[in-house]
Amino acid sequence: MAQVNITFQDADQAGKALKLIAFEGQLDETNVDAEAQKIYKVIEEMAEPNLLLDFAGLEYMNSKSIGYVTDWYSKAVAKNGKIVIARPRANILDILKVVGITQIINIHDNIDQAKAAFSSEATPATADKPAPAETPAPPTTTV
Amino acid sequence: MDTAVANQTTTAQANTSHPEEHSVFNKTKSVETEQEPIKISIIIPTSAYFISGIRDFTMTVVQNMTGFSEQWAYRFQSVVDELANNAIEFGSASGEDVKITFVSMKGKYIEVFVEDTGTGPVKKTAAEMMDFVKKQKSVDPATITTLRGRGLTQIVSSWTDTLEFQDNEKGGLTVHVVKNLERGEEV
Repeated sequence: MAQVNITFQDADQAGKALKLIAFEGQLDETNVDAEAQKIYKVIEEMAEPNLLLDFAGLEYMNSKSIGYVTDWYSKAVAKNGKIVIARPRANILDILKVVGITQIINIHDNIDQAKAAFSSEATPATADKPAPAETPAPPTTTV
Repeated sequence: MDTAVANQTTTAQANTSHPEEHSVFNKTKSVETEQEPIKISIIIPTSAYFISGIRDFTMTVVQNMTGFSEQWAYRFQSVVDELANNAIEFGSASGEDVKITFVSMKGKYIEVFVEDTGTGPVKKTAAEMMDFVKKQKSVDPATITTLRGRGLTQIVSSWTDTLEFQDNEKGGLTVHVVKNLERGEEV
C-alpha cells in the first residue's frame, strides 16, 4: 500500500494568505480518496483558497490523483482562489504534461516563483525542467 | 515489492530448467546473448493493495531488461499502474485475480498484457473499449473535469505505440500495449 505524508503551513504573499501544502510519498488508488479529503477541508475553511502544492517529495501520482488536483483547482477558483504547483520531480511533471494539467495550473520549479504567482494574473507557466533538490520549509501542521 | 506476493505469484515463463534462472534478476546476461523475448507473468488478487509492488516490479523490468531510459521506466510504471487499476476496479471481482504479463526484447520493445476475469462490476467487450478509447482520445485533456477518464485514454494511449483489447474465451478482457524502443528513448 502506498504511503503519503501531507503537511500544511500558513504563508503570506503580498498580504494574501496562502496555504503551503507539501506532499511526500506516493498517491495512488489505495490512499488518494482519503488523502484528498484533507485538501477539500482546507478549501472549505479558507475564504479565498490560495493553495501552493509543493510536490518536491511526491514520488508518484496516478490519474485519479491528477483528477483530484483539477477538482481542487475548480473548487478553489470558484471561491476566487488559486492553486499553484511547485517543484515537481521529472516523472511527475511528465505525467502532468501528458494529461494537459500544465495548460490549466501554474507550475514552477522553486517555491519563491510559485509564491509570486499568487500576486500575478499570469497564465500557466510550466517549468521546463524538474525542480532541483531543495530542502522544503519545515511544516507547522501535520494533518 | 511485497515479498509474499512475489514469492507466491511471480511466474517466469522463459525456457529455462532451473527455478533460479527464472528470476528477472538473473536474466541480464542471457538477455544480452539470446535474441528471444523474455516473458514474465504475475498474478495478483483483485486488490489495489498490491499495485505499489507492481509499480516497483515494472521499474525493475524496464530498467534492467528493455534498454529504455529512466524516463520511460517511469512512464511504463504509470501505464501498468493504470491498466492494472482498471482491471482491479472494473474487470475482476474481489476474490478473483488479475494477470499481468511483461514481454520484452531488450533494445527493441516492451509489451504488457493485463487480463481480468470479467467478473467485476463493469462488463465491456473489446469492441466497446476500443470505441471508448477512440472517442475519448479526441477530447482535449485540459477540458476533462471529472476525477477519472485520464488513465487509459490520455496516459496509456500517449505512452504506447499499440493499445488493443481482446475478449477472453472464459470471459473478461485482455488489454495489450506495446512500446517500441526508438532513437532517443534508450538508456
